[in-house]
Amino acid sequence: MSDVRMFDSRPATAVDAESPLAVSNLAERARRSAADPGVTLRERAFLGHLILRGGAIVLDEAVREVLGVSLPARPGALVHDADGERSIQWLSPDEWLLIVPEGEAYTLEKRLRDALGDAHFAIVDVSGGQTLVELSGPRAREVLMKSTPYDVHPRHFPAGKGVTTTFAKATAIVRRPDEELWELVLRRSFADYCYRWLVDAGEEYGLAVEESGR
Amino acid sequence: MSQSSSQPNRLAQGGRVDRTRKLTFTFNGKRYTGHPGDTLASALLANGVDVVNRSFKYSRPRGIVAAGAEEPNAVVQLGASEAAQVPNVRATQQALYDGLEARSTNGWPNVQRDLMGSVGKLGGSFMPPGFYYKTFMAPASMWMTYEKYIRKSAGLGRSPVESDPDIYDHLNQHCDVLVIGAGPAGLSAALAAAYSGARVILCDEQETMGGSLLDSRETLDDAEATRWADAVIDELASLDNVTLLARTTANGYHDHNFVTLHERRTEHLADVAPRVDGRRQSRSRLHRVRAAQVVLATGAHERPLVYANNDVPGNLLAGAVSTYIRRYGVAPGQKLVLSTSNDHGYRAALDWHEAGREVVAIADARDNPDGEWVEQARAAGIRIITGSAVIEAKGDKRVSAARVARIDIDGFRVAGKAEELACDTIASSGGYSPVVHLSSHTGTRPVWRDDILGFVPGDVTGLTPAGGAHGVYALDAVLEDGVAAGNRAAEAGGFPAASVNLPRASAHRESPAVALYQVPHEKPTLRAPKQFVDLQNDVTAAGIDVATREGFESIEHVKRYTAMGFGTDQGKLGNINGMAIAARCLGQTIPETGTTVFRPNYTPVTFGAIVGRHCRELFDPERYTALHQWHVEHGAEFEDVGQWKRPWYFPRTVNGKKESMHEAVARECLAVRQGVGILDASTLGKIDIQGPDAREFLGRIYTNKWAKLAPGRVRYGLMCKDDGMLMDDGTTSCLGDNHFLMTTTTGGAAGVLEWLEIWHQTEWPELEVYFNSVTDHWATMTVTGPEARQLLAEITDIDLDKEAFKFMDWKEGNVAGVPARVFRISFTGELAFEINVQANYAMHVWKTLFEHGEKYDLTPYGTETMHVLRAEKGLIIVGQDTDGSVTPEDLGMYWAIGYDKPFPWIGKRALSRPDTRRVDRKQLVGLRPHDPGVVLEEGAQIVFDPEQSIPMTMVGHVTSSYYSPVLDSGFALAVVKGGHHRMGETVYLPMVDGKVHAAEIVSTVFYDPKGERQHV
Repeated sequence: MSDVRMFDSRPATAVDAESPLAVSNLAERARRSAADPGVTLRERAFLGHLILRGGAIVLDEAVREVLGVSLPARPGALVHDADGERSIQWLSPDEWLLIVPEGEAYTLEKRLRDALGDAHFAIVDVSGGQTLVELSGPRAREVLMKSTPYDVHPRHFPAGKGVTTTFAKATAIVRRPDEELWELVLRRSFADYCYRWLVDAGEEYGLAVEESGR
Repeated sequence: MSQSSSQPNRLAQGGRVDRTRKLTFTFNGKRYTGHPGDTLASALLANGVDVVNRSFKYSRPRGIVAAGAEEPNAVVQLGASEAAQVPNVRATQQALYDGLEARSTNGWPNVQRDLMGSVGKLGGSFMPPGFYYKTFMAPASMWMTYEKYIRKSAGLGRSPVESDPDIYDHLNQHCDVLVIGAGPAGLSAALAAAYSGARVILCDEQETMGGSLLDSRETLDDAEATRWADAVIDELASLDNVTLLARTTANGYHDHNFVTLHERRTEHLADVAPRVDGRRQSRSRLHRVRAAQVVLATGAHERPLVYANNDVPGNLLAGAVSTYIRRYGVAPGQKLVLSTSNDHGYRAALDWHEAGREVVAIADARDNPDGEWVEQARAAGIRIITGSAVIEAKGDKRVSAARVARIDIDGFRVAGKAEELACDTIASSGGYSPVVHLSSHTGTRPVWRDDILGFVPGDVTGLTPAGGAHGVYALDAVLEDGVAAGNRAAEAGGFPAASVNLPRASAHRESPAVALYQVPHEKPTLRAPKQFVDLQNDVTAAGIDVATREGFESIEHVKRYTAMGFGTDQGKLGNINGMAIAARCLGQTIPETGTTVFRPNYTPVTFGAIVGRHCRELFDPERYTALHQWHVEHGAEFEDVGQWKRPWYFPRTVNGKKESMHEAVARECLAVRQGVGILDASTLGKIDIQGPDAREFLGRIYTNKWAKLAPGRVRYGLMCKDDGMLMDDGTTSCLGDNHFLMTTTTGGAAGVLEWLEIWHQTEWPELEVYFNSVTDHWATMTVTGPEARQLLAEITDIDLDKEAFKFMDWKEGNVAGVPARVFRISFTGELAFEINVQANYAMHVWKTLFEHGEKYDLTPYGTETMHVLRAEKGLIIVGQDTDGSVTPEDLGMYWAIGYDKPFPWIGKRALSRPDTRRVDRKQLVGLRPHDPGVVLEEGAQIVFDPEQSIPMTMVGHVTSSYYSPVLDSGFALAVVKGGHHRMGETVYLPMVDGKVHAAEIVSTVFYDPKGERQHV
């Protein structure tokens, strides 16, 4: 849709950046990681996060053209592109979350806007407003069971699913990109609370924190 | 059989205890030993401890009665240290561990001789039912004094006064079939459901799963029943669709099959959870289970018979006697008299006899019992007195004899001369009561069945009772009932029924039971020695009789008048007997009398388990801005705004002394008025609005006009609810013709987004517009003060010239090398730039501002200074100066109301109501205290006439009040009736301390009334 003011929020030359979990002192946690962890946490900071709004029929063709995957129309569906670097997740009947590698969000938004032309849709960059935390390890599911009332049993939560749900006393997006991995998309202002919750809930299983790579 | 000298009642063999290992424990300060496999109760009985408590009301000595959750007396206070104290633990449910320390909860100063003893000994006439209500409630002012002593001597356990060293947690569980109880019915139900493929959770409150099989005389496939139980438990444990939870009590059954399970994870190990590999583990865990189907296999509680002095230590349930002998290898006495109304009670006599102890006699209420166990007892040479019952126990701190007499049940009278039999133990059995408590939690009343003389669960959607809970008692039938229930539950979830190979149960012939609850005495109930119905709450048959005579005919009233079934007991042992007695007294049937409501929790749950990890630093989310760490490092004091932590003020340390809040705020205010200050405004709600109808939508939501706001411009707007009352305010910027950025108050952000969505989705879906929260994406830094332009100019490529970048304009550019949107809006009345950058880069920009700001003495300020500065300018804060009853007109903001807009906006119609047109509405004004040194109290009431007698006519109140450093006086905003037309008048504020402040009604703008400073 025209007459929307796009904004590339990334500086042209590198400056110090701080992810939502910068305040949480992950480096210190990483040093105190358990030797044989039952659950491992790792932040994937600075990824590009875009919210895509519109009717599924309107958006599908543009998404296929730009990302090479069909728009997931089934509630809770999560799909990745061919090299697994870019994902698109159903959030609500007219809302999807795109997560792409660092620095790609603005270009992707532009390409989608070009492809969508005058259709009625909205794209919003929320890269600074949320971060992604990975949970892995044999006890990761139990940590989630302590944290969310949503049923995370494999029968109910297979790989390729993601939901927005209650997490402790906050909200998070819980995703399962594959059998071995869980992802949490945390809102910036709640990220430290959620992270401290995870560390506390994971303690009994032996918790490891891996420092984020960019 | 020989017996261990240190544990006089411990049998030489039998039971599931490990006699090769000794555990030491203390009870009321005295040391004892027991064995692994013991409960605290079995160990106390093994050691011959008769008195474990004093009763609640009469302070009578009490001993152990039962072996499970229904135990009313052996309720102890656990914990070796102050911090580890746990009240209300049933000794029958507490596994013994080495070093366990327990005390009686009741009976201060001690159980053998206590203060209330003298009161209780005075007898029934001194403390009739309703005693507390009648005696201690008047005068009401004394109740607090009475209560302190009654509570202390009645003893309901006590909370620790030190912080709990343990952690607790919750686990959210989901399953197709939740099976509650792992006795024969639960095990077979779990097997069937598991084989069907359903996700199954099987929980059991005991240390070991197996339920009644653990002490059964019966065999399965010609072997001890426990062999089958152990095999099934192993089998279930091997299936990955089954979760087994031992030591886990289903405590609450809530709507939609939401069941809370309390798992005691380390209570059997120590009083403080031991670490595992150096890591803490939760002491207990609350499982929050969402079950599609529930199988209630909670079994049945044996009913004791109600006879005189049935509370003297040594009176036990018949089934408990069997359990102590067969499961724990403890015979709790030497000489037994059994009083029973049914065949099952005979097990106690047979087990007692086989343990080598003397069975003095069996008093059987039936005339011609001839069941298989009866015959076995006869064959063993045990004396059976038919048509009789124990009518009275003798003894003080231990049973010394039983008085047995022939009884006429229908006539409720003693029909023969009583015979006194010397004994130290009386076991009684009045039949079984299915454990219907959980099904009753849903509000469903249980249903009486005459054929089993008990209540069974009423219909609950998604609930299938099985086995004893279903009124099915014969072992082979119980197993089959379990399979049927498991299959029914699984099939309801779409799983195919499974076939289960059940073991062959040893069948035995049974003679029918007789209905007996209260046993008659030679004296009428009111004059007979006390016949206890509810041992925990000291409710007697006479008490119920009195209650019905005093007009309490509803069983719910009887309950409340007598306290029957109250508290932690929840009527497990006594309720059915109590109802039967009430029914008899009222001349009606038991089903006509009905039951009281059993409430959660089934047994007490510690607060720790309820709280889980929602405590201490995880009690509530703390929301941080991207600049939080800087604020912490620079000594900010924080204020909670919703869940946000916002800097309140930044005290400096001057000459080694930290500034007070007043000093810091005064300094911060002057810095903004005279130099330059900076505020972290990131918490403001921000909503991105896109779509060709965005502008139209804004026009309907806001009271003012949006049609002509050009890209690059910003406008302040007011939002009303449909009642015309202000709900939020903020600025909205036009980013592009079809693109706006709305800001909201910090606290209103989520509510406003929801408000927009509701109106869009329900009323105006035809408008093409989308709303998205970008609150967390942007960080917002407000640089404000006369020197703001000079400072910002040093690090931005944006032209800040006053003509190029006007007040209420916004511009894009780089600030400190980071792409930024800068908004020239002001909440301070000074020149101000609100810099918005993507939050990941905010710290860099903030720090760069301070590098360049050093020469300007750039001063960080917090919410308190922000409040003073905005109030000096008469700028409102929604929720402080408004309270949901204030219209834009009440605020005098006529300039922000577009009555002539083409489409009516939300709240417009309400503003034409007579009430909103009243001229004497409370209106926002400024108040200048006559004494400039006075800072009025926020919330202080305002009157026009201070001489009026109380109650005075209150005409408004102070909404905001501060000391203004720049004016060097106090000043306030207030709402006053008709205030807009009372400029210059004096109002009065009578204070609690008797002082009356006078203040002049003035304009809300106290500083720079022409607004020149923000336009420079």
